[in-house]
Amino acid sequence: MLYALMGLGLSLITGILNIPNFAHGALFAVGAYLLVTTVNAIGNFWLALVLAPIGVALLGLAIEYAGIRRLYAAGHDYQLLFTFGLALIISEGIIIIWGPVGFSYLPPPALRGGVDLGFTFYPKYRLFVMGVAGLLVLATWLFLEKTRYGAIMRAGIENKEMVSLLGIDIHRLFTVAFALGAYLAGIAGALTAPIRGINPNMGVDMLGVAFVVVALGGLGNLLGAIAAGLLIGVAQAIVAAYWTEASTAAIFAVMAAVLLVRPQGLFGIR
Amino acid sequence: MKHLIVFVLVAVALLLFAVCPVIATEIWIFAIFGLGLNLLLGYTGLLSFGQSTFFGSAAYVAGWLLKHYAINAFFALAIGVAVGAVSAALVGYLCVQRSGLYFIMLTFALNQLFYFIAYQWTSVTGGEDGMPGIPRPALLGIDFTDPLNYYVFIALLFLASLWVMKRIVESPLGKILQAIRENEVRAEAVGYSVPRFKLLAFVIGGAFSGLAGVLYAMLFGIVPLEAIGFVFSGNVVFATLIGGSGSLYGPIIGSIVFIWLSESVSVIWARWPLLLGVAFVIVVLFFRGGVVEAWSRFWSWQSSRPRT
Repeated sequence: MLYALMGLGLSLITGILNIPNFAHGALFAVGAYLLVTTVNAIGNFWLALVLAPIGVALLGLAIEYAGIRRLYAAGHDYQLLFTFGLALIISEGIIIIWGPVGFSYLPPPALRGGVDLGFTFYPKYRLFVMGVAGLLVLATWLFLEKTRYGAIMRAGIENKEMVSLLGIDIHRLFTVAFALGAYLAGIAGALTAPIRGINPNMGVDMLGVAFVVVALGGLGNLLGAIAAGLLIGVAQAIVAAYWTEASTAAIFAVMAAVLLVRPQGLFGIR
Repeated sequence: MKHLIVFVLVAVALLLFAVCPVIATEIWIFAIFGLGLNLLLGYTGLLSFGQSTFFGSAAYVAGWLLKHYAINAFFALAIGVAVGAVSAALVGYLCVQRSGLYFIMLTFALNQLFYFIAYQWTSVTGGEDGMPGIPRPALLGIDFTDPLNYYVFIALLFLASLWVMKRIVESPLGKILQAIRENEVRAEAVGYSVPRFKLLAFVIGGAFSGLAGVLYAMLFGIVPLEAIGFVFSGNVVFATLIGGSGSLYGPIIGSIVFIWLSESVSVIWARWPLLLGVAFVIVVLFFRGGVVEAWSRFWSWQSSRPRT
């Protein structure tokens, strides 16, 4: 479900802005680090979970406003280089601020321990994450499908010129889309922190996963992102149970296998 | 064209004196790597963000054989080229079926696949510590452990690669690739199988990357995990772009600037990737035409200044 969330954010950014966002993983990592810092500062996990992703969204806002905005006319190669440079700056910045060694972080007391589901024993926090991620995906879906601005956003994925001809400020739409994508990356990062701990490489590891989700699910395709996220999440879990070392490689192997059979991705859009 | 070749020859010779042999050698290796990418990026219009897949795979395979079976240098180079080409064929087959952003993301994702294999397969690759102890075998009685001899060997190989690449881009194949870059639909309509030619460009680019990978492993005696990592892929894209991806010589200039700068800065500060990132951002925002354009802009600014 976290993969779906990550892919969804990237999917929005790539789909609407038409840029390869290599900084998406870095935003994810910032979300995790901000969460831990905020918890340490104010001592309240719930408030931190709200604040950290907003911080990431603001960072996304600043990045779009100061840099990416100037690059829509440039080619993908320069956009890529820019976001890649940003990713390097952010991950090195994380090392400078928080140090190169990762640390583990415990979920809040209320969510520690497990629940007996009858057939299996499952950690409470993971259930919580699944619930929150599910709600967020649902909320994003409702926003995109049922609100006016969501409709404009989907129109922006289809045809940018037409949208701006209709008198809609396409640049503001881009900024909002980038901030929303950054928010989703940030909250995915924040939710991940208590499960896997945090380290400076977490962003890069997740970036590859997000790309896989988008490549399989299709740009701006919400259902595709969810399906692809679930598919690789399950595949990874199954492989991890038998052969732990190969679990990360399994994500990419599954992608390669799916693309061999269906080069156009799961739902074959564009 | 003629004087550019003379220029390159002179540069090859001079560079040795300007910087120490190891860095100079690294520059030409990186330039071979850049030539391979440039065939994709500059001539076919394919932005591959996974070139280190081929570079690293070749370095690992040839390095392994050099280390455990003491194969000779020519054989190692041939293996490197072959591994580069084969891995590029595998990756390329999946990637060329998609275009635009999907293509970039796929090259990156498959790069990550190879990276994690290298990372986890510690019994062979050494994982995070890299694969050390790769020998530099003598060839035809010449001792390559002497840095100067090795430098000359690399410089000659680089010139050979440059010549081969020049022949490729000026051949009918090169023209077809450029036609694909300019207008894919029209190239298809004229009767060329676009995916097949893209794949071919991928394989050739991969072969060049593989050659560079083996030379790199032999230069440092180790295959570090970074050699197959995505930052390495990004670096070669950056070097090619700052040199100017449109021309055959762009990646060469880019490699000189890039390796020289990064090697000098990395000695000073361990967090130098931060500066690298800043450099990427600045170049993209302000000097989008690369070094060549920045230079000409600087000159026009100089000459437009009123003389006092």
